[in-house]
Amino acid sequence: MKKVITGNHAVSYGAQLARSQVIAAYPITPQTQIVELLSEFCASGKLNAKFIKVESEHSAMTACIAASATGARAFTATSSHGLALMHEMLHWAAAARMPVVMANVNRAMGPGWSVWTDQNDSLSQRDLGWIQLYCESNQEVLDTTIQAFKIAEKVLLPVMVVLDAFVLSHTSEPVDIPEQSMVDQFLPPYQLPTKLDISQAKAYGGLTSPDHYFEIRAKIQKANEQAIIVIKEIDNEFNQMFSRKYGILEPYRCEDAKVILVTSGTISGTARNVIDGIREQGRKVGLLKIKLFRPTPFEDLRSVLYKAQKIAVIDRNLSFGHSGVFAQEIKSALYGLGAAPPIFDYVIGLGGRDVTPNDIYEIIDNTFKSESPQEPIIWRGVRL
Amino acid sequence: MKWLEKYKPPVPVLQKESDYPNWAISSTSTLLNHTGTWRIFRPIYDNKIPPCNNECPTNEKIQGYIDLVKQNKLSDAYKLILEDNPFPSITGRVCYHPCESACNRKDYDQALSIHCVERFVGDWGIKNVPLAKPIAKHKETVAIVGSGPAGMAAAYYLGLAGYNVTIFEKKAKLGGMLRYGIPTYRLPKNVLNNEFKKLAALNVKFKTNTAIGKTVTLDVLRKNFDIIIICHGAHKNRPMGVANENSDGVYSGLEFLSVINAGKKPKIGKKVAIIGGGNTAIDAARSCLRLGSTPVILYRRTKAEMPAVLDEIEAAEAEGIKIEFLVAPEKVVANKKGKVIGIECIKMKLGKPDASGRRRPVPVPKSNFVLKFDSIISAIGEQVDLTILSSDVAKTEWGIKADYLGRTNVNNVYAIGDCVTGPKTVVEAFGAGKRVAFKISGEEHNIEHKVERPVQFSELNTDYFEHADKVKVAELPVKDRKKNFNEAHLGYNKISVKDEVERCFSCGICNKCDNCFVVCPDLSVIKQNGDYEFDYDFCKGCGVCARECPRYAITMKEESKVETE
Repeated sequence: MKKVITGNHAVSYGAQLARSQVIAAYPITPQTQIVELLSEFCASGKLNAKFIKVESEHSAMTACIAASATGARAFTATSSHGLALMHEMLHWAAAARMPVVMANVNRAMGPGWSVWTDQNDSLSQRDLGWIQLYCESNQEVLDTTIQAFKIAEKVLLPVMVVLDAFVLSHTSEPVDIPEQSMVDQFLPPYQLPTKLDISQAKAYGGLTSPDHYFEIRAKIQKANEQAIIVIKEIDNEFNQMFSRKYGILEPYRCEDAKVILVTSGTISGTARNVIDGIREQGRKVGLLKIKLFRPTPFEDLRSVLYKAQKIAVIDRNLSFGHSGVFAQEIKSALYGLGAAPPIFDYVIGLGGRDVTPNDIYEIIDNTFKSESPQEPIIWRGVRL
Repeated sequence: MKWLEKYKPPVPVLQKESDYPNWAISSTSTLLNHTGTWRIFRPIYDNKIPPCNNECPTNEKIQGYIDLVKQNKLSDAYKLILEDNPFPSITGRVCYHPCESACNRKDYDQALSIHCVERFVGDWGIKNVPLAKPIAKHKETVAIVGSGPAGMAAAYYLGLAGYNVTIFEKKAKLGGMLRYGIPTYRLPKNVLNNEFKKLAALNVKFKTNTAIGKTVTLDVLRKNFDIIIICHGAHKNRPMGVANENSDGVYSGLEFLSVINAGKKPKIGKKVAIIGGGNTAIDAARSCLRLGSTPVILYRRTKAEMPAVLDEIEAAEAEGIKIEFLVAPEKVVANKKGKVIGIECIKMKLGKPDASGRRRPVPVPKSNFVLKFDSIISAIGEQVDLTILSSDVAKTEWGIKADYLGRTNVNNVYAIGDCVTGPKTVVEAFGAGKRVAFKISGEEHNIEHKVERPVQFSELNTDYFEHADKVKVAELPVKDRKKNFNEAHLGYNKISVKDEVERCFSCGICNKCDNCFVVCPDLSVIKQNGDYEFDYDFCKGCGVCARECPRYAITMKEESKVETE
């Protein structure tokens, strides 16, 4: 059944169809609509879940971890400062291997106070062991939310589904809402291998001596590595049932491309149109949309990018003192290739400033015309 | 490299990656991890001495019986009092209750009305608890000279221990000062008689109308009994030392009270002067009032120096009795027939403190004046009659020489109570009787549990207590008291006593309030059979239990100073 819904409500439908059992959240713009709709689902009985009102995002994540440890499917949603406040518990969720699923609506961090989109909030949580999936459309948001539970429960790592503030969260699109019975078939009830059981008292997350801590950390990394394979498998499985497929990366007209533009989130949709236009002009350009940011799919990135002569990366984010985060990722993925193409890092659209087709055209045009990047960071649209 | 081999790390418990859990989960419960090893201080349950117990002259376990009343265990409460004081119905009425002056609750709102609780329990016990029987047997015989409070208490504990006890009493009835010195509106005779039934149940024998020194000499007594306890009190009236003291219409306070207490009505005029500021003076004045006279108390110092119990002074004032302060008698004024018509007094002022610590009254020169009275009662103090003593028993300035346990210089001759100390109180006499009995029966370890520093108010955690004034005790209205000798205080009932005991802080003594059990963050307070224990395997010594104990019954002790078991 198709419905015209916002990106936020696409998350809500996803969490409902996944039969979340515990939802603990604290409101924050631009995420609030997600849990608002979920609370209505809970109140009306459309979703049989315990909705826990908490006093902060830190507690929201704590409640989700605890719920998950008891064997319940737990979900929360947040944004920006809320995500930052969760930071301690984000570490905990990953290191405790709790398959919590969270939607994060990308919103710029203050100050200056901003509710508009950029990716710094989620990207600054990149080293915790959370899987991060960036979405482009409302349909992708809904489908990814359902997949996220299956991924999380398979590899025992928490998953963050990321969508752009307003551009996606508050924009309505027609979305195909799958049948509950199909989703149930795709996503069986949650079974945790070890769960809290008072009849078998154990210490959870207790003091761990140097003799054992290191190995447990190594296992988080191995689970991350395994996740790349698992996510692909689950995407295939999803495709078989629902006839929609996203992949961990989405290359577009890259086979013979001399310049490949790397994007994430909603910019990808705009870029696809620009690329078609430039192709008509006769220049060979391709697009690589990154959906899976963590774990980093090194092999997949290389196999797409190694043939290009130049790579342009659009970063709606900035790792202060370094460069755009996606550019760093691409650089590290290509390091060691015999003749790695030059990588142009375009930082653009922080704090929700529009990224227009014209901007994208100029980025691609500049990349074609330049031998190598003029600067380590090429600022687009900033009044310097 | 060979030289590095000795630095090889130990082999860990888990060896292969597959042995490891996905995250930090212990293979067993947290109990494996003995976090108690982190402790540098350990809490210990350490009951201390509350100030009430400590101040009580007979060292009653006051907190203990109050706690039992809280639990509605009246019989146990009664028996606990009897361990230290055989006659709580008496002290519950006439004790000057130093326990209440020491009560930590006075620094919070008002001291507990301990004597009223004691009286309630004592009266309940008399009605409901069977009389005690001797619990052992001793062949020694004991003669007790005097049936006042000291002798009665000694007789009770010696009787309980199975001694063959005989009391010798000069007067027709038992009780000494309790019967003949204290008016019935404070201590009804039936209370006294009921209490004394305890002695008969312990096979104590009585010889009344037997004055030692006259009927039988002390030397004869010593030949016939293994152990002698002298406790004949201080009944000799101290003379005022003024002219015309022996005029018609001048009475001694004790003599006056004794006549009333014997059931007779002394001949007394309309206007009566009572000289003195002690309990005898107050008792005499209040008795005069009840006989229809108008008493005036003349005292040579001020109210602050009066030796009488404050409650009694206030009761007298409430009944409208006038007290003239800083006035001393100079001379009794008599008519030609030798009958009292008044008293010549001199005004006094307070000088430097004397041996008692009170400021000495000094006469104001040429301030003499005469007051008209029909009778005068002299109640300036009592002395010990030492004439009954055998010559070999040592004496002091005011009485018989004996130590704290009643031992005189002569083997097996003991002396206790007022005849040793000079006039003191009922409870002090009870304490002396208990001590001498426990000394004789070899229970010295039970005599007293006192410390220099009982639990202080500042050591309590008063956050746990609500403010509550003491529960008022019912009294006869003043107008109903003036014409008779009916008991003025009506005591607590079952409901009011319950409210009052709830106010007790239980200073220094665990009363199983569960607070430590609740607050321990390490679940290291173990409750078993209603008792608590610390689980030192896991107690980290944080001290929350001790800090949060409302009553200072937990002490933190440095681990290095704990003796290893």
